[in-house]
Amino acid sequence: MAAPLPDSQPRLAPGCRWATHAEKPVVLYPEGMIRVQGTGQNILELCDGERTIQQIVATLAEKYAASEPDKIMDDVCSFLEGLRNKRIVDY
Amino acid sequence: MTPNPLALIAEITHRCPLHCVYCSNPVQMVAKQAELATEEWVRVLQEVSRLGVLHVHLTGGEPAARADLEELIAGARKAGLYTNLITSGLGISETRLPKLVDAGLDHIQLSFQDSRDGPAQWIAGAKGHTYKIVLAEIIRQLPLAFTVNLVVHRQNLDHIEEMIEFIEQLQPERIEIAHTQYYGWALRNREYLVPTPEQLDRCTRAAEDAQTRLAGKTRIDYVVPDYYARYPKACMGGWGRRTLLIDPSGRALPCHAAGVIPDIQFDSVREHSLEHIWQESAAFKMFRGHDWMPEPCKSCDRKEQDFGGCRCQAFLVTGDATATDPVCSLSPDHHLIEIARAAAAAAEQPAWSYRTSVE
Repeated sequence: MAAPLPDSQPRLAPGCRWATHAEKPVVLYPEGMIRVQGTGQNILELCDGERTIQQIVATLAEKYAASEPDKIMDDVCSFLEGLRNKRIVDY
Repeated sequence: MTPNPLALIAEITHRCPLHCVYCSNPVQMVAKQAELATEEWVRVLQEVSRLGVLHVHLTGGEPAARADLEELIAGARKAGLYTNLITSGLGISETRLPKLVDAGLDHIQLSFQDSRDGPAQWIAGAKGHTYKIVLAEIIRQLPLAFTVNLVVHRQNLDHIEEMIEFIEQLQPERIEIAHTQYYGWALRNREYLVPTPEQLDRCTRAAEDAQTRLAGKTRIDYVVPDYYARYPKACMGGWGRRTLLIDPSGRALPCHAAGVIPDIQFDSVREHSLEHIWQESAAFKMFRGHDWMPEPCKSCDRKEQDFGGCRCQAFLVTGDATATDPVCSLSPDHHLIEIARAAAAAAEQPAWSYRTSVE
């Protein structure tokens, strides 16, 4: 299955949710948990099923004052594709 | 100080409407009158959550055989746990399922015995296949993660491709293709269940094809069975290392089968705190770490990967729970596994023992 498209609206997959473990944010999913921090956390927090990939990338580009939105787009897409293969994210 | 556990397997009852020949429940089962009460389970769920446990896997027997399943799920959710229900689907009516989800169920694992009704009934010793299909459709409409478990063995592996295609139609997020593990009832029926090498190769190919074909849609979890592996599985991620199991009567064990090992006293949650059981009890300390290990495990550079394999399997196959897991190709007892494989290859029409009922 392909990477997300610019107008895809990513969200956590069914049965995956935010929680706190050892005072850090984690995403719980059926087989375990992933610790999310830094950029990964910033991306996932924007995945609310409403925002598009384009909007997420624009928000991140602004946040990081980045001059290479194409690079951010690539990174966001491959990050989310990996999580989709684990069935943690849907789009 | 031992790190705290991350997962609790809550074996809430041994009652089950099915009689699967591959069941890994102990042959000596706990009767209903000895089961922990609702409030005892709810207290246990709070206690394990305070210990650091994140996931609770509600299993059995058939967990839905307990009338208070909704309350147990609500108790787990209230305690902050991620709640997984491992079920045959029987006992979960179309009206009960939404109540379980409302109570906080995060994930359901629905087992199938086959793609076909007749063979499914033959393996399970009971009807139920058609209802599971109905239930799968309802699950798909509800907001929870959905896994289908398919237990495979010699009697169904000749149509593995058909079974995978059948399960794909149910649209789960995950398919777990699980080779039978030879504990409890399954050990009694081992000679009819161990696959042939040809079946195993075909199954592995089918699983890998499905992984590629379904990437991003359905995740396929597949592990080569330990009877055909070079090295043992890291059973439970190591004895008393990550996971604890509580049986229907409240005994705390490091795994499903540990009760078969003689001369171990397993403490009950009725008498001790979970923290004490995990940190201090002799049972949980017994095979933790490396001190107990014989050669060739003790000097093996894989001891941090597989933790010496499975203690129960060592006992069940060799009669010595401290032996190297005999599935390991380095074990001095490995010929016992080779003999079991040969016996299975020679076995004819199954004359097996169905798992009995417990009331």
